[in-house]
Amino acid sequence: MSSKSQPDDMIVVRDLTKSFSGRSVLDGISVTVKKGDVLVIMGGSGCGKSTLLRQIIGLSKPDSGEVWIRGQEITRMEERKFSEMRKKFGMLFQSGALFNSMTVGENVSLPILEHTKLAEEVVNIMVKIKLELVGLTGFEHLMPSEISGGMKKRVGLARAIAMDPELLFCDEPSAGLDPVMTAVIDTLMVDLSRKLGMTLVVVTHDMASAFRIATKMVMLFQGKLVASGTPEYIKALDNPIVKQFINGEADGPIPLRLSSDDYLKNLLG
Amino acid sequence: MSKLGDYLVLSGRSLYWAVIAGFRGQFPKVSEVFAQMVEIGVGAIPIVTMVCFFIGLVLAIQSAYQLVQIGAGNFVADIVGVSIVREIGPLLSAIVMAGRSGAAVTAQLGTMKVSEEIEALQVMGINPIRYLVAPRLLAMMIMLPCITVLCEIVGMFGGFLFGSLSLHIPADLYIEKTIHALVLKDFYTGMIKTEVFALLVGTIACYCGFAVQGGADGVGKATTQAVVASIVSIIVADCILTGIFYYVL
Repeated sequence: MSSKSQPDDMIVVRDLTKSFSGRSVLDGISVTVKKGDVLVIMGGSGCGKSTLLRQIIGLSKPDSGEVWIRGQEITRMEERKFSEMRKKFGMLFQSGALFNSMTVGENVSLPILEHTKLAEEVVNIMVKIKLELVGLTGFEHLMPSEISGGMKKRVGLARAIAMDPELLFCDEPSAGLDPVMTAVIDTLMVDLSRKLGMTLVVVTHDMASAFRIATKMVMLFQGKLVASGTPEYIKALDNPIVKQFINGEADGPIPLRLSSDDYLKNLLG
Repeated sequence: MSKLGDYLVLSGRSLYWAVIAGFRGQFPKVSEVFAQMVEIGVGAIPIVTMVCFFIGLVLAIQSAYQLVQIGAGNFVADIVGVSIVREIGPLLSAIVMAGRSGAAVTAQLGTMKVSEEIEALQVMGINPIRYLVAPRLLAMMIMLPCITVLCEIVGMFGGFLFGSLSLHIPADLYIEKTIHALVLKDFYTGMIKTEVFALLVGTIACYCGFAVQGGADGVGKATTQAVVASIVSIIVADCILTGIFYYVL
């Protein structure tokens, strides 16, 4: 273990870089998440939020840099060992990523059935409890194609927390949900972290929800970390990029176009 | 070239989880294997038997065309029997299975890849090869030999129909000649081929499914690729195995 790492550090990311076909998406990102924290990663579309999340959970390998989870470096970890570690993770995908060939109930019970030897009756009760938490009691027997996008996302969340993970990753949990359901999910997340001590990493660009749940926030802009701190600190920060983003203004330093090519040059060839 | 490497790695792991892990007490889920056997194997029976029946019929007609000229029409039974059991049965069943069940597996896994389902499994700490590939590969390895035997019987029946209805070979003579012509080696070389074909179809279908990039377009391309690669590799493997059986056994 590295000397800088503290025992209550859940995730330590150091100098992470990643580029896709020459375009740098993450450029020297360093973040630390303590146990029980709710880290919110903010940033505009295409700024590398989801990519950062994928590196932390090991779905893709960074070009350079380190990711330490619970004191273990995961980017060079053996697949089998990492697989064992992932049983303590939960992840909510942007699309929900439900298994389309299984019912809602089977989706939620899959991780429990695969990783434990509990009796079917017990598993069924656990599934009901998790579905109750996301407000979907009685939906066990429906297929994913029979429920709405927002419901799929809630089932995805129920599945992610089925095993009571220590670490929960959420990619855009509130996208596609109505305001009431967003608030319900936010409350659930806060409860999970405050009451159960779960550590959450949430990617979002819904500012209202971000400020409700976060204990720590980071903002990504063009692959770099522009701000990092508590929600109060971020709110008070006098950084034009952060200000424009959290207030949702059209004018400011955040450019409309992803490439920095001269607009005229682009138009006229 | 690196694709070939990836394919070999995936095949090795798939074979481990489908067969070897079973001896270490980590057998793929039985209910899932049975579900896949129905999906991959039983579902293919109508199309495979139909194709084999007609090929048996055609084989009989084509060989009669030559044999009748030298007054050896009776030998249609021998030719149909031997060529179906040694060659046509295994080859044809494998090709039809590649086109039907192999393509279905690629499309299914490819769609799961596109909708992040495979990543979801990985994140849950569930090995996608153990959970998805192993039951499918095992089902293919169990069902293809069964289908091939069925195919051979139906194919020989096609030849028999032509022989007795058009060439007026007595039924008992036709059957006796067929049994006489076949030796055990014909059958087991055919079965060895079948097992190799099952491995090829199963692993190529799963590899192509996992290799899908992009959206629906990618799934379509991968499915085409899987069928083409399966059929080509089946024929190449068939040629190599036939050579080995001819010169060595």
